[in-house]
Amino acid sequence: MSRKPEEASCRLTIDGREIVVAADTPVIDAAERLGIMIPRFCYHPALGAVGACRMCAVKFLDGPVKGLQMSCMVGARDGMVVSTTNPEAVDFRRQVVEWLMANHPHDCPVCDEGGHCLLQDETISGGHALRRYRGPKRTYRDQDLGPFVAHEMNRCIHCYRCARFYQEVAGGRDYGVLSIARRTYFGRYEGGRLESPFAGNIIDLCPTGTLTDKPSRYRARRWDLERGPSVCLHCSLGCGLTVGARYREVMKLEARLNPEVNGHFICDRGRYGFGYESRPDRPRQPRVDGRETIAGAALAALAEGLKPFEAGKVAMVGGTRSNLETLAALLGLCRDQGWRPPVFFRDARLAGAAESAAAALSGDLVASLADVGRADVILVVCADPLAEAPMLALSLRRAARRGAAVLVLDHRPCDLPCEAERLTFAPQELAGCLSRLAHAALRGRKEAAAYLSSLPLPPDLLPETALALDTWGKRLAEARFPLVVCGTDQAEPTLPALAGGLARLLAGSHDQDRRAGFLPLLPGPNGLAAALAGGGDLEALLADIEDGRATALLVVESDLLSRTPEPERWLAALRKLKLLAVCDHLPSPLLEAAHVVLPSRTVFEAGGHFVNQEGRLQRAMPVFSPGLPMGRTLREGHPPRLFMSCAPGSEPRPAADWLKDLAGLLGAGGRAGDWADLAAAFPGLPGLAAGPAPENGRRCLPETAPGADAPSVAKTGSPDVPPDHLQVLLVERTFGTEELSCRAPLLAASAPEPWVDLAAADAGKAGLAHGAWLLVPLPGGPLRARLRVHQDMAPGLLLLPRDPRLLWQRLAGTGVLVELLRLHAITAEEEPAGEDTTLEAEP
Amino acid sequence: MPDDDLRRTILNMLQGVEHPREKAVDVMYLLQRQYGYLCDEALVVGAELLGMTPLELEELATFYDFIYRRPVGKYVIHVCDGVVCWMHHEDDIFRHLCARLGVRPGETTADGLFTVLPTVCIGDCDKAPAMLVNGRFYGPLTPGRVDEILETLRSGDEERVLCP
Repeated sequence: MSRKPEEASCRLTIDGREIVVAADTPVIDAAERLGIMIPRFCYHPALGAVGACRMCAVKFLDGPVKGLQMSCMVGARDGMVVSTTNPEAVDFRRQVVEWLMANHPHDCPVCDEGGHCLLQDETISGGHALRRYRGPKRTYRDQDLGPFVAHEMNRCIHCYRCARFYQEVAGGRDYGVLSIARRTYFGRYEGGRLESPFAGNIIDLCPTGTLTDKPSRYRARRWDLERGPSVCLHCSLGCGLTVGARYREVMKLEARLNPEVNGHFICDRGRYGFGYESRPDRPRQPRVDGRETIAGAALAALAEGLKPFEAGKVAMVGGTRSNLETLAALLGLCRDQGWRPPVFFRDARLAGAAESAAAALSGDLVASLADVGRADVILVVCADPLAEAPMLALSLRRAARRGAAVLVLDHRPCDLPCEAERLTFAPQELAGCLSRLAHAALRGRKEAAAYLSSLPLPPDLLPETALALDTWGKRLAEARFPLVVCGTDQAEPTLPALAGGLARLLAGSHDQDRRAGFLPLLPGPNGLAAALAGGGDLEALLADIEDGRATALLVVESDLLSRTPEPERWLAALRKLKLLAVCDHLPSPLLEAAHVVLPSRTVFEAGGHFVNQEGRLQRAMPVFSPGLPMGRTLREGHPPRLFMSCAPGSEPRPAADWLKDLAGLLGAGGRAGDWADLAAAFPGLPGLAAGPAPENGRRCLPETAPGADAPSVAKTGSPDVPPDHLQVLLVERTFGTEELSCRAPLLAASAPEPWVDLAAADAGKAGLAHGAWLLVPLPGGPLRARLRVHQDMAPGLLLLPRDPRLLWQRLAGTGVLVELLRLHAITAEEEPAGEDTTLEAEP
Repeated sequence: MPDDDLRRTILNMLQGVEHPREKAVDVMYLLQRQYGYLCDEALVVGAELLGMTPLELEELATFYDFIYRRPVGKYVIHVCDGVVCWMHHEDDIFRHLCARLGVRPGETTADGLFTVLPTVCIGDCDKAPAMLVNGRFYGPLTPGRVDEILETLRSGDEERVLCP
């Protein structure tokens, strides 16, 4: 080799092969890069080294370190000569594994880890084949850790991975290490559901069958599964997943390593948000006017039905959970047919916020989830990370543990698993507060003058609040890597643009080797593509349908009826339509109202591409072919006594295919559906033209943002809230509100009971106590929910989650106000009995 | 529930401490002294006062030899099983003690007087083999000396659970 090792890198020899790595890289990692997998239990790249298990012993033959050492504890140095196959090291490892196995039960045949068990692999590869120990084994009592994690402590080898993840990485405080020495026990103070929303990761981390996936227990061996890489659709972050399916049903999801996005971990919403694909009420058969039919007939009926319509009266609604191919087909169809531009967002505020966030994004400014962990001062504006993008909370914790300062400006009581300063403001004050902060951060900067003059005036602030904002502004200005996170779910339309503008100017203030980042959260896994495509919003469309300006409606993978605060108004409007076609895989009341139903495939069956909030193009692979899960058909006697060449229930097709065929029938086919087509559909994502994405995705944003330097600030009308009234805000929660996962049976059965939030000042005025059952008079009828009272929440608000278990759709409108004193606690007799926390769904 | 005096003592101890959990062991000892052992109620109260979760305090409580999470006798005998004591035939002493009291290590005599527990090296190796009874050191031991000590304890009134 003639190449000189770079500075701070070193060259070492492992098993006779040379490698150049950064100095201090653990030798175990350096070996892995050569394809040499040194046995290990406690070491994990995301957790670091502790040298507890003694399994990764290797022999250092030459160099600064000599002798038998743990390869996870020794940092690479120049001139090291390492042997993993030295007899002394091999014998040492054999003894370690024999000793770890001494107490381990011989229950592999009934253990769910069997087949993908690190302990099995390393026992075999360590050469320990015969048990010599004949004494009694150490035994434990197991705990019930809730619906997701099965606990079998007898199998534990005390590697500490689970507890280190749970407490250090995830910030959980209810699971840990008890007792000492050979009695060491991993568990909770007493049995019960693991509280952390990231608890499922301890299943992936456990190298034995101690912690296994409870829902998929005894249902499949690893080798039985159809497995494939996928992307999580339960928020806009696009975390990597590995899908495991068997018998036409998803058995389990595991985290897939994507270093720049989720790292090794995912949240439990992503892990257990599946199951909607195998619901018995999933639409699987094309239908025309309520009668089941075959694909061709349904498409022909739809094409025929669409012909009489004036192009301007046909509207399309798309969903941000659709793959990029579907969105492109939908955009192409509207453009070619001259229909109204497709609508993706529920209201003008959200559409505006998503579009302004998308416009502020560019390759030079955007930050990935991994960048969050590298930042040193982080400003989170109008975002509730655990609710809107749970993995962001984990990244914020990583940053905070490395010493980053985190400020959260929001109106909600945002829980974070890390230290952060919270300043609460009403939603309409946030832009003004950001303005105060920006003035402090950018004071005296000539190039910032235009930006600063475009900012709204700060609201009247308490002196200490103003001082805090000024201090944080200075911190941002002095930071090595400042980062601005901005949500869109609750934000005023201009807020993301202002946040992005601040990040851009912070970047400009730095030397070459410094940078700044902007990380917006967008609605849905393909929210960025939808925002770039523009279009109107559902509220405006509703008015148009009511006025007869739109008379035919095609809804593609958007459950607008279950997601709107005005279901009655929508139902009435839908009845006025002359044609309603729905293409979806989720069961919804919309299907009942539809003239034509085209069943689509889920991401597990169709795969497809998704662009996350940082413009990263990622691919989900189709993992199995659609069809009724065998778990169901078996009950009816398998195989089905029907002569057919396909599996029962296999009619769903990818939504993009339905749309392309429809375009063909309407006489505008000829789109190849290739990468050039995708790139043409999304000019805001120039990177699409480069074709398929590599395994970990590729950013597709333009290098600089078109409208970046001059955020257009429109006046936002703050709602007039009369005194002693509360503004009802619909909010997201970690579990139970997101469009797909709220239909996941596993989460629905186990999600914590839904609650509404009130600021302590308001609760005090109304005499309401934390934990009380509350009756909220809404225009569409009363809503009953448990109350949580918060000190750190903006007053004048009632936060209501979009949880189907609550009757939040009784809101029957937007911008609803309720009188504070009309909220009242329900007496004990009126409280729902036992577990029944919900009322019957409205007919 | 801990009485008001104890609660006040604990709160005073935590006053002005930057990280209350650094006082966790002291708080557990105070509670153990009142309850006789660190029962579940004491642990939950202690965790609350310290701003820790019950799990976090339990992690510490179960780690340490001298925090008793189960009821113990009036006299808790910790027999040293460190290397030096072992070299001085501590095994014989341990066996003799258990035989004399009719219990196995970890058990309490039926009359509730004695609990026998092993412990790691207590650092008085020059007087090996050794043991602690309610925090008081005894050594070097012989079977005869053990019998004497037990006799004295039976007739005397040593303070309960004397750990620091």
